[in-house]
Amino acid sequence: MALAETASPDGPIGPSTARLRPAALRQLSDTQAAWLLLTPLLLFFGVSVIYPVIETIRLSFFEIRGLAPPKFDGFGNYIRLFSDANFLNSMKVTLVWALTATFFSVLIGWGLAMLCSLNPQKTLVFRVMIFAAYGVSEAVSGFMWLGIYRPDYGLLNGILEAIGLTNLTQPWLGNPSTALGSVIVAYVWTQVGLPLMTCFASIQSIPKNLFEAAYIDGAKSGSVMRHIIAPLSMPGVRVAIFINLLNSLKAFDLIFMLTGGGPVRSTETVGFFMYRESMLNFKLGYGAASTVILLIAVLVVSIPLILKRTGDAK
Amino acid sequence: MIGRAPGWIVPLVGAFALIWIVPIVGLVVTSLRPISEIILGWWSLQEFTLTLDAWIVVWDKYPLAYAFWISTKIAVISTIIPMLLAPAAAYAFHFLKFRFRRLLLILIINAFVLPNQVVIIPLFRLWRELGLIDNIWSVIIPFAGLSFAWAVFLVKNYLEDFPNELIEAAQVDGCGPLARFFYIVLPNALTPIAAVGILQFMWTWNGLLLPVVFLRDELPLTALLARIQGVYDRNWDQVAVAAIITTIVPLMIFIVFQRYFTAGAQTKSGSKE
Amino acid sequence: MLRMDTTKRTTLLGSAAVLLGLACSAGSALALDGELVMINWLGGAQGEMMEKLQEDFEAKNPGVEIRNVIPQASGDARGGIRAVLMGGEQADLLINTWPAFRAELIEAGMILPLDASYESNGWGEKLGESWQALSTVGEENYGVTYTFGDRSGIWYRTDTMAKAEIDPPATYEEFLSGFGALNAAGVTPISVPAKVWAHAEWFESLLLRTAGADYMTRLASGEASWTDPEVRTALSKWQEMLQSGCCDDGNTMLALDWDISVDAALKTGDAAYVLMGMWLNTRAKQEYGETPGEDFNIVQFPAFDMGHDRESMVDAKELNMLSAVENREAAEAFMGYMLTADAAGIMAEYGLASPSTEVDPSIYDPVIQKSVNEVTSADKLQFVLGDLLPGDLGGEYRIALQRFLQDPSDETIDAVTQQLALVAQGAY
Repeated sequence: MALAETASPDGPIGPSTARLRPAALRQLSDTQAAWLLLTPLLLFFGVSVIYPVIETIRLSFFEIRGLAPPKFDGFGNYIRLFSDANFLNSMKVTLVWALTATFFSVLIGWGLAMLCSLNPQKTLVFRVMIFAAYGVSEAVSGFMWLGIYRPDYGLLNGILEAIGLTNLTQPWLGNPSTALGSVIVAYVWTQVGLPLMTCFASIQSIPKNLFEAAYIDGAKSGSVMRHIIAPLSMPGVRVAIFINLLNSLKAFDLIFMLTGGGPVRSTETVGFFMYRESMLNFKLGYGAASTVILLIAVLVVSIPLILKRTGDAK
Repeated sequence: MIGRAPGWIVPLVGAFALIWIVPIVGLVVTSLRPISEIILGWWSLQEFTLTLDAWIVVWDKYPLAYAFWISTKIAVISTIIPMLLAPAAAYAFHFLKFRFRRLLLILIINAFVLPNQVVIIPLFRLWRELGLIDNIWSVIIPFAGLSFAWAVFLVKNYLEDFPNELIEAAQVDGCGPLARFFYIVLPNALTPIAAVGILQFMWTWNGLLLPVVFLRDELPLTALLARIQGVYDRNWDQVAVAAIITTIVPLMIFIVFQRYFTAGAQTKSGSKE
Repeated sequence: MLRMDTTKRTTLLGSAAVLLGLACSAGSALALDGELVMINWLGGAQGEMMEKLQEDFEAKNPGVEIRNVIPQASGDARGGIRAVLMGGEQADLLINTWPAFRAELIEAGMILPLDASYESNGWGEKLGESWQALSTVGEENYGVTYTFGDRSGIWYRTDTMAKAEIDPPATYEEFLSGFGALNAAGVTPISVPAKVWAHAEWFESLLLRTAGADYMTRLASGEASWTDPEVRTALSKWQEMLQSGCCDDGNTMLALDWDISVDAALKTGDAAYVLMGMWLNTRAKQEYGETPGEDFNIVQFPAFDMGHDRESMVDAKELNMLSAVENREAAEAFMGYMLTADAAGIMAEYGLASPSTEVDPSIYDPVIQKSVNEVTSADKLQFVLGDLLPGDLGGEYRIALQRFLQDPSDETIDAVTQQLALVAQGAY
């Protein structure tokens, strides 16, 4: 491609810099280098992830009621989980919750990132405004949305009345058919900042001459967006999907604040279930078992994806 | 500049941002009005008084400066660690051949599902035995450890588009695997590293569950301000003050670091094959 | 000045008595000292109150330094407390307000019986028998109750009553017949905040009036069944109220948080009645700037003439002594201090009532006075049912009542009572 010609031979990353390297490190094999690079990370990881995970797996085989001493129970917790209507319900709710929330938050964030990237300087202040929602804690966002949805003096009902749509007013969080949707909207509001940021960063790392070439060929900004920005911002989109999807599985505070899981369990997600069972009801074994199941489910979904993307090392 | 932006883009994004910020405006207004007025919603106009009472109460009652310092220490250290280690790991996973590569990667990335409440009790016991309770490292270690899942994924994902010929050229020149990382990959991975920095700073700055369980006297801002809200009263004006105080710093970090999104793009230009 | 002297003297006498008691049991200890560690999860106004109480205690016992362990977790303080205890944190005292949690602590061997301490400190004289009974499990007493609240009191604004030209109801019939007048005046008679837990208050007071405290005790301990006619009767009374236009539609109730309902009843006047604990008094005084007894008041849950009209629902907070106690002397001294008139004076400032006999009720504002009178003159006291139910049952119980409010039909009553009986089987 023509682009290769524009490479600057004297850039800060020219191969010449390699001469600065200490001689001893030159001889390292890939394996040695990899372990050298990974060891510090693995130390942190071992203490704060591997050890608690092993502990969680161990706990999941015990029946623990609050502070009482644990009783070994084999697969009892797992068997109970799969016959627990509340757990199965939470799986269903989670599927809707995680997929819709991730889809909309990433879509909105990506779209905004593409628009903003056409004029990065003038949209900076707007990006900061949208990102601000990401910086507010879930509990506080919950409170702000509570004011919007409340049945008596809620902002949403107030606006609907003001524009003559009185018949659309609702107790948004009390009606089982609107509660989950309302919580998802609030959650999407909190989550758009991340896709906006990662997609924007991704677009900014698209080589500039690609655009120049396209504009010289007479392309309009619409087609530039479609043919260059959208496909080349995929790394940012992937990261956003990954982070937002897995974060949505853990969401608790916002749901707790807005609906407390209600009305009648219609907004209880797996994250809510896990938190309630282990932190509120303190059935640590049961909560642990539900965490293990979630871990396995995510593992099953993610292994093929990760394998596909890791291929052979370059 | 990516090109000739049509004129409607700025007003459109602006309108969107203005709608987006409504709840945040609400937060600010809530912090400035007495509770008796915001009962009908912060937008109600029946009576309208602005007061700094909530700000003064929070300022008087809580040692904010000290907590601010603790928060900064915790967030900065827990942010620097993944900013250094995640690119190293991502490089190893992406460019080097070694045994257990895929297995390790799967393990690390899947750890992201792990909710904080799972980590708390095992670590609490461990920290007690090691005497780390009320030491900021009891929070920093899990903050860093839990961040690698997404941080490694994020950096590795950007490296997938990294120009291979640069690596090859360095290899031909006799550059070892570590030198290739430090001299070639690292300087070109500023964009994802900045993203890791922004996100990790924000999450650790806002982290609540680990600090309140592991720390006693050295409380960060979030843990200190969490005490404002009682079980039996809803003093939302003060809670709003707390939320604003805690949100401002990560926003500054965002504004500062996001400059690297464009900087990263420049060094990389002209390398797509 | 005179008053100060007497308080000082009583304190001196009090501490002298404590010291004598210690001298007999522990030997040579003359002054209290060392660190007293307290698991203190109270936040907001109550947290402030506890801080003041601790400062006052420290001023009276200069050798003692109190350190708070502050567990915190979203939703329910018990999660944080358990995490702290399971992690092996050492502490001397624990603030507790859930009888079911006390039972859990006893079963795990984490708190100590206090009968000997009651004896040696003479707490029995300050804390009446019905209070001691509330903290007694089996034969042993595990807690020192330092504050309580009336939970059968219905709160209202005086001007709402005037607007609808009715009086606060004394009987169930008056209560029902008032709904028409209130609705005609554009006021929702009752605001029921059913989002999480507060709707259960109505069911509990209905059950108290129709089936009585003894039955509720049996229901809470798993001896009585949720399919009993007693439960049905209470629910059918609520059905009757709903049919008489007491409340908003089900979905609206399920969307309400307790504070919104309280605002509606005590601030805006959109609703007439709300049934909840004494912390509303603080809220109405501090946040709405209203005067207790003038702007708002409480009336005891109306009489049903079914033999249980002189019973009262209460909540309470107590101190438990942890088995890991290291400074027993200071811990006992603090428990004793919480029953003094000085401590009650501080609590009264925050709108809370003390059960101690040393307290002159005239220190309270009219609303607290009224509720204290109701509770102290009651034949029987019943602790809030929701806080007595073990584990899952507590959660299931509140959801069952939500389902009832969504569709208050006989079929729903059948379905939810059966479901509760089923969950109860696994919970004990």
